[in-house]
Amino acid sequence: MRTWRDVARYHLVMPWAILLIPWAILAVSFIVNLVIFSLAPVGHHEVLTSQGLVQVANAAHNYTGGVASIYILFFAIGTSIVGRSLPFALTLGVSRRSYYAGSAALGVALAVADGLALAALQAIERSTDGWGAQMHFFQVPYVLAGPWYLTWLTSSVALALLFVYGMWFGIVYRRWNLVGAAAFTAAQLAVVLAAVLLVASANAWSSVGHFFTGLTAAGLTGLLAGMAALLLAGGHATIRRATV
Amino acid sequence: MTPPISVTGLTRRYRDHLALDQVSLEVEAGSIVGLLGRNGAGKTTLLRILAGQEFPSAGSVLVHGEPPVENEAVLRRMVFVREDQIYPDVRVRHVLRAASWFYPHWSAELADALLADFDLPPNRAVKKLSRGMRSALGIVIGLAARAEVTMFDEPYAGLDAVARQIFYDRLLADYAEHPRTILLSTHLIDEAAGLLERVVVIDRGRIVLTADADDLRGVATAVSGPVLAVDEFTAGHAVWGRRRLAGQASVVVVGPLDQADQLRASSLHLDLAPLSLQQLVVQAAGQPADTLERTSA
Amino acid sequence: MLLKEAGLVREMAGLDEGTPLFAQIAERLAEEIADGGLAEGERVPSMNELAAFYRINPATAAKGINLLADDGLLEKRRGIGMFVASGARRRLLAQRRERFAAQYVEPLITEAARLGIDTDELVTLVRESSQAIPVPAPGGVTV
Repeated sequence: MRTWRDVARYHLVMPWAILLIPWAILAVSFIVNLVIFSLAPVGHHEVLTSQGLVQVANAAHNYTGGVASIYILFFAIGTSIVGRSLPFALTLGVSRRSYYAGSAALGVALAVADGLALAALQAIERSTDGWGAQMHFFQVPYVLAGPWYLTWLTSSVALALLFVYGMWFGIVYRRWNLVGAAAFTAAQLAVVLAAVLLVASANAWSSVGHFFTGLTAAGLTGLLAGMAALLLAGGHATIRRATV
Repeated sequence: MTPPISVTGLTRRYRDHLALDQVSLEVEAGSIVGLLGRNGAGKTTLLRILAGQEFPSAGSVLVHGEPPVENEAVLRRMVFVREDQIYPDVRVRHVLRAASWFYPHWSAELADALLADFDLPPNRAVKKLSRGMRSALGIVIGLAARAEVTMFDEPYAGLDAVARQIFYDRLLADYAEHPRTILLSTHLIDEAAGLLERVVVIDRGRIVLTADADDLRGVATAVSGPVLAVDEFTAGHAVWGRRRLAGQASVVVVGPLDQADQLRASSLHLDLAPLSLQQLVVQAAGQPADTLERTSA
Repeated sequence: MLLKEAGLVREMAGLDEGTPLFAQIAERLAEEIADGGLAEGERVPSMNELAAFYRINPATAAKGINLLADDGLLEKRRGIGMFVASGARRRLLAQRRERFAAQYVEPLITEAARLGIDTDELVTLVRESSQAIPVPAPGGVTV
């Protein structure tokens, strides 16, 4: 446990790389989007209500997807944890297992903290009617559209998933270089393809479709958590024989 | 007492070559051992395996009585300074701060003194350090860690002769006050010869020579002079190599020469030059005699 | 310090390749004692001081010191260090005298014989040379 703490300290020896950069990128994305939203008015359409014809904002156009940037950053940080930081950590006498566990723990902690911040920002967004420009940056239809605690949970799980995925990718690259990384990606695509073929052959599209539409945001979060656990195990298995 | 390093029958096979072949080695606590040999002989592979960074194909490797792989208890008692260490994207002072958390005997005082000795700017990004400065950084870590088992793998890439001498001096000074087991892999043998208590020579993955450094001094002598005189003098002695140019010859005689031999040699107007450790190692590692002549110039 | 005072600093640097280092260290210390640079009862440099000065392994320096200690030329004083034993100088000079014949006289005679110089001529040469070269009076040490 003490080693985990030391590993976390090690990653945070220059804090801004891990703590601030995701937010810096997110801030840039946010500002760009906000500027665009302020300049270009949202489309309206007419709706017949008890008060007569009313102009209603087109909800569908308010979502930007810019919040994805922070998720992508978490993936990138995950890979650099292995690429740039693993070699010296091994020299410092940290075992691969401890390094992996400590780094993953840090990633999860960051995911939970940043997820909370995202949920808070979402709350602010709702109360300011989209930052005064009807922009839905921190609200994402279906996934990040519920109560704040659910947003927190889903965001945290998603961030953690991407972090762990990034780590596994980094480990694969370290062990088998570009060829390995390409093979890894190809293997994942193959798995997806196989699943699709399986569903198609069993003509089970409707049941699959029902499953997904019937899945609540909470259910989806559970699914993501399961995937994260799988990726965690995968990364752990792969790092055991990694050399630097 | 368990020896700090004990290796038996270590073999490391890669797909296309055999890096280490049945290597057996024991290092006594608190001694300075030189790991000598050509580039590609297997020195780095051996050190990496000792540091738990590489995995053996066969054989046993014990550091403080336990295998080092993934063994934090043992790894924390060891520091390994590599030629090609990759550092995270941080500054020099961050690297040293991180090191201070992981090495139980870390001396910040010594680290600061060494930074000054090598003119290493603590605020510079490690990425921006020159080759020599990176080596110096490795040396600072290796010495300030005061780890019970300290291993250096050719730690002076890019360091000039003055800086190298600073390294040897600081190493000796700190070793005298805080004894530890030191394994130094080097191809600049004569520079380090005085430091070494024991010498292990590796060639093509095998250990070809293990001896106390002092035992190797005077063990071979180059005899040069007129051909006939040389032949007369060396008759009955074991010899390595023979070089000839017109009426002059040079031969390496194995085995110590006593005073009587020396008198005889001077009476025959022969020149005697004992082989330095470097020349001996070159010989032991199977080099042709030409190289011997060039190095003894 | 000690070595500097003995005025042998330049000589002391640079050990040769031909003999074990510990033996050379012992030899140099013995010479310093025999020449009077290290007086009886005076402290001998520690193994760490010697190691730093010659840039050699402290264990090697220790071996050299122990060689002299085993011969009784140095004595250990607990917690303080190694000191020149009484009578050490006398014994070393006696050793040198014994070696004198083998080290200097025999080669002289051999070389003289090779050049065809007979014993009488040799003695004359010795007398002439000793008049030309000032020979210091023995330093008050009778053997």
